[in-house]
Amino acid sequence: MANHRFDVRVLPGFGVVAIFTLVMLYLPIIILVIFSFNESQSQAVWGGFSLKWYEAAFNNRQVVDVSIRSLWLALVAAGIATMLATLAALATTRVGRFPGQTMIYALINQPLMVPEIVTGIALLIFVAFLKVQTGYSGMGYMVAAHTAFCIPFAYLPIRARLETMDLTLETAAADLYATPVQTFTHVTLPLLVPGIVAGFMLGFVVSLDTVVITEFVKSAGQDTLPTYMLGQLRRSVTPEMNAIATLFLALSLVVVSVFFLITRKRG
Amino acid sequence: MNDSATRADYQGKGDATVADGAQQSGNEIEIEAVSKVFGLGAAAFHALTEIDLTIRTGEFFTLLGPSGCGKTTLLRVIAGFEHPSSGQLRIMGQDVVGQAPNRRLVNTVFQNYALFPHMTVAQNIGFGLKMLGRPRSEIDATTSEMLHLVKMEAMATRKPAELSGGQQQRVALARALAPRPRVLLLDEPLSALDLKLRKEMQTELKRLQVETGITFVFVTHDQEEALTMSDRLAVMNKGRILQLGSPHDIYHAPKERFVADFIGETNFLSLKVIAVQGRSADLTLPDGRSIPARMAQGVTPAPGETVSAVIRPEQAQLVEAGTGELSATVNSSVFFGTDTHIHLTLEDGQPFTVRRQNTVGQAAPATGARVGLALAPGALQVLRG
Ligand SMILES: Nc1ncnc2c1ncn2[C@@H]1O[C@H](COP(=O)(O)OP(=O)(O)OP(=O)(O)O)[C@@H](O)[C@H]1O
Ligand SMILES: [Mg+2]
Repeated sequence: MANHRFDVRVLPGFGVVAIFTLVMLYLPIIILVIFSFNESQSQAVWGGFSLKWYEAAFNNRQVVDVSIRSLWLALVAAGIATMLATLAALATTRVGRFPGQTMIYALINQPLMVPEIVTGIALLIFVAFLKVQTGYSGMGYMVAAHTAFCIPFAYLPIRARLETMDLTLETAAADLYATPVQTFTHVTLPLLVPGIVAGFMLGFVVSLDTVVITEFVKSAGQDTLPTYMLGQLRRSVTPEMNAIATLFLALSLVVVSVFFLITRKRG
Repeated sequence: MNDSATRADYQGKGDATVADGAQQSGNEIEIEAVSKVFGLGAAAFHALTEIDLTIRTGEFFTLLGPSGCGKTTLLRVIAGFEHPSSGQLRIMGQDVVGQAPNRRLVNTVFQNYALFPHMTVAQNIGFGLKMLGRPRSEIDATTSEMLHLVKMEAMATRKPAELSGGQQQRVALARALAPRPRVLLLDEPLSALDLKLRKEMQTELKRLQVETGITFVFVTHDQEEALTMSDRLAVMNKGRILQLGSPHDIYHAPKERFVADFIGETNFLSLKVIAVQGRSADLTLPDGRSIPARMAQGVTPAPGETVSAVIRPEQAQLVEAGTGELSATVNSSVFFGTDTHIHLTLEDGQPFTVRRQNTVGQAAPATGARVGLALAPGALQVLRG
């Protein structure tokens, strides 16, 4: 084999590092999941199998409330972000080169480059100012903040898809009497769907995950699941948290798997 | 449905789009002094220079030329994907400069086919009519007619990715024909196919053109393809049209060295002019005898001038040494199955090739042998410049 010489397995210590990394990545999660089924209150001693912490979580009004809020917020934010990202991707790939294009590319990707905590503090100050000025303190701020934060994650796969698309397909559509709008709806958009779905999924997961943005923007009673859990953990660690975290993990896994399947099938 | 019925049907339905002007003049596309320049200033590149071209209604017209000579650019100008930097372009007598591609009654078969990957074969074929807002029933009827025309009925529900290269080519053709365009532009549609399929599709294309009566503008850099398929062809080089004519004219009466060289094999001879009368001239042969030659339009050599003349290898015959117009020595013979190419050196050192039809038992002439060459009457042609 030509690349045998460069096989990483021959590097001294490779096995140790690999195993250590895998253990660090997955062992804590495995323990978390196992103890969510623990009969006893302990996080260290196994007291038999039970679903009682799941039951407790489902009967906890607050948990249900913050979960629902997290989900709809992620859906709305990812939805709006995907639409905006699609338009941005079209503007940066289909319109001829214009001055400042690289600049715009950088601006769109701001959330990927500026530390989240900086964005969070900036939002805190800005939103506080708006709240005072307008008197409005509803979920609008959260939707706006999450949307802005999701845009680059939605933008990247959509742009990648547009860049690899064969431009002669759009030329062919125009040749076959399609107006520019028809070319977009009949050719560009359908071919863009995998990119759009991928962008939406990524945005959804990112919105579902973010603690920092929510923590700094939320008003009273606007906790999402991650900020709620963080708040609870400050007081006491119960296996109920394990159960909620496990469900959360399952949801993320489902979303990521769907994302993976779609991009692989159509890619 | 037999072929003549298909054709009558096809033209009948196409009538709605026929402009009266075009019918009268017989000219489908008129290109006048069209130039195309890419880039600006020092970086400017002249892809097309002062193209004058008239394509007649219903003809199979071919643009032939080497890579980069501007064939695709000219097609893109006709289709409307590229705007000419200067000049006039009329389709069916109507000025179309500035008109968007989706408003021109011209369809293209793209070099890479450009089939829509998310649509079935049938949806691809129906796309043009759908965009024109035709009723469902008409789209379905035309789609199945087209599937029949290109013999792809069995593949109607497949996606392009599930087709072979030749099948994709047929679908691309059917898709472009379905809206019944006035003109079909084909950009090297056969270049991706292997030799056998290519020959098959050449026949197929010619059949479709005759059956539908649509004007075909076909691009190729394959001279044999151009000669066998076209009613007329234009030879292009470096953004200019060098010669325009029937395959016969282009082959037997090339005007320029480039045309003579690009189309088929040929012998170039440097000969001195003795006398000129009208379209013919008397040239001096190496041994001092004279021979008549035809002259291309616009060629006016003066007596005493040395000109370049061409003669095709199959227009000369090997004869006994001392007879015929020329004397030569045999260098080598190459056997090609149907014929043998015999490479010779003339007395004055110029190379010459003769192509001889093979017959069983005929021996190739020995290397070093002295032979005579008999030139077919009227086969010698004086070139421009
Ligand atoms: N958009 C463009 N910008 C700059 N130069 C271009 C552009 N399009 C074409 N050209 C140049 O114009 C010349 C003619 O190109 P064109 O595609 O018409 O060649 P062609 O005859 O079709 O060649 P081929 O047989 O290789 O397809 C080429 O030298 C090409 O580099
Ligand atoms: Mg080309």
